[in-house]
Parts: sequence; C-alpha cells; structure tokens
Amino acid sequence: MRWFRFSLFVIAVTLIQAGLVDIVSLVNVRPDFLLILLVFFAIYCDTTEAIISSFAIGFAADVIGSAMGPQMISFGLFGTLLAYLHRFIAIREMPYQSLAIVLTGLLAGGLAFFLTYLRSQPTPPNMFTVLLGTSLYSAIIGPFLFLPSAWLMRIKTHPFVGS
Amino acid sequence: MLFTWLMLVGFIFLFAPQKLANNFQSTFARIFYWPLSIGRRLSTSVREKQLPTDVVARSKYNQLQNHLANVQEWLEQEREKVEKLSGLRDRPIWEGAKLMIADVASVSGSSTEIILNRGEDDGLREGQFVLGEESIIGAVSVVSSRTARVKLITDSTSKIPVKIAEFDVIRVMQGDGKDSAKIELLPSRKYNVKVGDDVLVCKMPGFLNSAMITARVAECRRNDENPSVWDITVKAVCNIERLDEVVVIIIDDED
Repeated sequence: MRWFRFSLFVIAVTLIQAGLVDIVSLVNVRPDFLLILLVFFAIYCDTTEAIISSFAIGFAADVIGSAMGPQMISFGLFGTLLAYLHRFIAIREMPYQSLAIVLTGLLAGGLAFFLTYLRSQPTPPNMFTVLLGTSLYSAIIGPFLFLPSAWLMRIKTHPFVGS
Repeated sequence: MLFTWLMLVGFIFLFAPQKLANNFQSTFARIFYWPLSIGRRLSTSVREKQLPTDVVARSKYNQLQNHLANVQEWLEQEREKVEKLSGLRDRPIWEGAKLMIADVASVSGSSTEIILNRGEDDGLREGQFVLGEESIIGAVSVVSSRTARVKLITDSTSKIPVKIAEFDVIRVMQGDGKDSAKIELLPSRKYNVKVGDDVLVCKMPGFLNSAMITARVAECRRNDENPSVWDITVKAVCNIERLDEVVVIIIDDED
C-alpha cells in the first residue's frame, strides 16, 4: 500500500463528503463515499492494510461527524470483518460488492448511531431511514467508483490478469 | 494485535472529553476551510438553481420578510415603552452589541450544528446568539480559539425561551433533531395560536437586547394526552441549509 497516496486520497474523499455530497443528494439521501472507500480497501488490500485503512477511514468519518470515536470503532470493526471474510469469499462481482456495501453500511452505521447515542450526542430521529437510504445509494454507485479508486491507488482489481 | 490497539484508540476517542474531540473537528475545519467553503458555495448554488419558479432569490425574500417581522416587533416594543415610560430615553436596539460576520465552514453530519470560522480570538463566547437572514438560527455551543460550533434551533438538545406572536407568555422551544422544533405546554383555551404566527426568541440580558424572530408556526394541534394544551411545531424562518454566512451577536460586557 502506498500510504502517502492513501492519506491524500482519504483527505480528498473526506472533503468531498463534507462539502460536496449535497450536490448528488436525491430526496435528502446522500451517498457515503467513505463507506464505499472502506469496502474498496477491505476487498482489494491484504488483511493488515485493510484493518489500518478501515480505522483511518473511520477516523476521517468522525472528523466530519458529530462525535469522535463511533465511526472509527464501527468502520474498524466491520472493515476488519469484511477483510477476513474476503479471505474465504472473493467479492469481485459488482452485485456482491453492492451487497457488501449495503450490509457494511447498515451494520457499521447502526453501531455508530448506538455509540453516538451512548455519548449523549444528537442522533437523527429517522436514523433507520437515513441508514437504509445512505447504504442503498452508496451500494448503487459504489462498485462504479471502485475502478477509478483502484487506478488512483495503483491497485490491481484483477490480480491474476497478465501474471 | 493491531486490531486491538486501533480499537483501543477508537474507545479513547469515544470516551475522551467532548472538548478534546471537538478540537479535532475544529482543526480539520480550520485547515481545510477553503475547500470546504468552496464546496458549500457550490452546493448552495446548485440547490438554488433547482428553484426556477423564484421571481426574486428565495434567500433575499426570506431575509426581507424576517427583517419586516423584526422591525414590527421592535416598533411594538418601542411603542409600549413610549407609552409606559414617556419621557425616558431608551438606547437603540443594537447599542452595546457587536455584530460579527462569520463564514459557515462546515455542517455536522446530523445537520443540526454548524462550524464557523470565528472563535474565542474574535470575541465569541458560549451562549451568544447567531443570526441568519436576520433571524435567530441558533446559539454558540462550543468555542475554540479560531472556530466555533453553533447548535441550531433544530438540534434536539437546543432549548430556547420564546414567545409566540403577540401572546405575552414565555415557553421553551426545543429542537426535534430534524428540521423543526417543538413548543409545548401552551394552554389551548387561552391562546389562539395559528399556523404562520411568528415565534420570537425572548430578550436575554447579556445575549439579546430585544426579542427577535426565529421561526414560524408550521403545525398546531391539541396534545393527544392533554387536549387543553397545544402541541406546536415550528420551522425556522431562515433556510439554514443555504447559509454560507451568518452573524454572531456579541453583547459588550462592559456596556
């Protein structure tokens, strides 16, 4: 993993998530680009790199969120689980990648909301709708963003091709 | 092992004092102020383009409406004072107050808080009211040296004393965590509240010299359990999502 490139990439995506995501919002549902990034690195990196990147992306999500910690823990936990799962089940087809984004989004988002609630920070009252909408929207556009992400990170999406 | 350590770091962040956690968010907002503000302006302009039916800019229209409501309220107060205290001179509404313009650096995930590019160094303190389009949109909740976090009136932990229209009764307005706020425990027999009535933040010495408009009644129905009181839902008169600039009311302590 090229960690400097990774840092710049995560900062850029965090800025897009914080400032520009409203442009692509549909009926107040916004995609979560950091969630897409989390699944991308969990799928295309080795386990150690996936663990570090999951926590780093979670930290970035906390920085633009309402409290520090919840997203780092939830993204770290489910990113790690996904990376371990990927050892046994290859998630290469787009529909499976979408499914992985939806499930990770729901589980990580649910845990993050719970931890935010524990910290007595405000959570949206319609959290299930927000969670479902965000996860589904991210799942629809996520797999299409994997290719440019892989190109930017110089990661081979098909490691057996040409080897 | 790596996972355990990183998880530990996550829990340290989670249970760290809120002020420490806010420092990370404020620092990020400060460092990346330019790209974030450009992004917000871009988002705002895209959203405004989606309203082709506006003859004049909606924000300008709202601002003028709110200005009118404020002037009417001030006029009413002045008239009462002239009647009651004839012969005594009162100071103008903003005398002793400093109005600080601040840019909105970012909006929190739940959209009930905003971060400003002004902080303690500029004279901001906790509790100071923040204006958007000449209406109260919230109050400063956390201040660092160069940034400040504003809790909007829609935040579920925001509680502000308000009065409705001409009724001389004070009630607490509490945000619902979405895009509106609630006012409860107002007797329905005594007060004939109507949809569209102005909601004004009460005068608070040291923070606000005069009552100011903040919201309008959007829904008014009798409480399910106790029909003798209203359940009032109010909406901010200012479209907070579109704001990229606000004004903080700083009352001079020495005055």
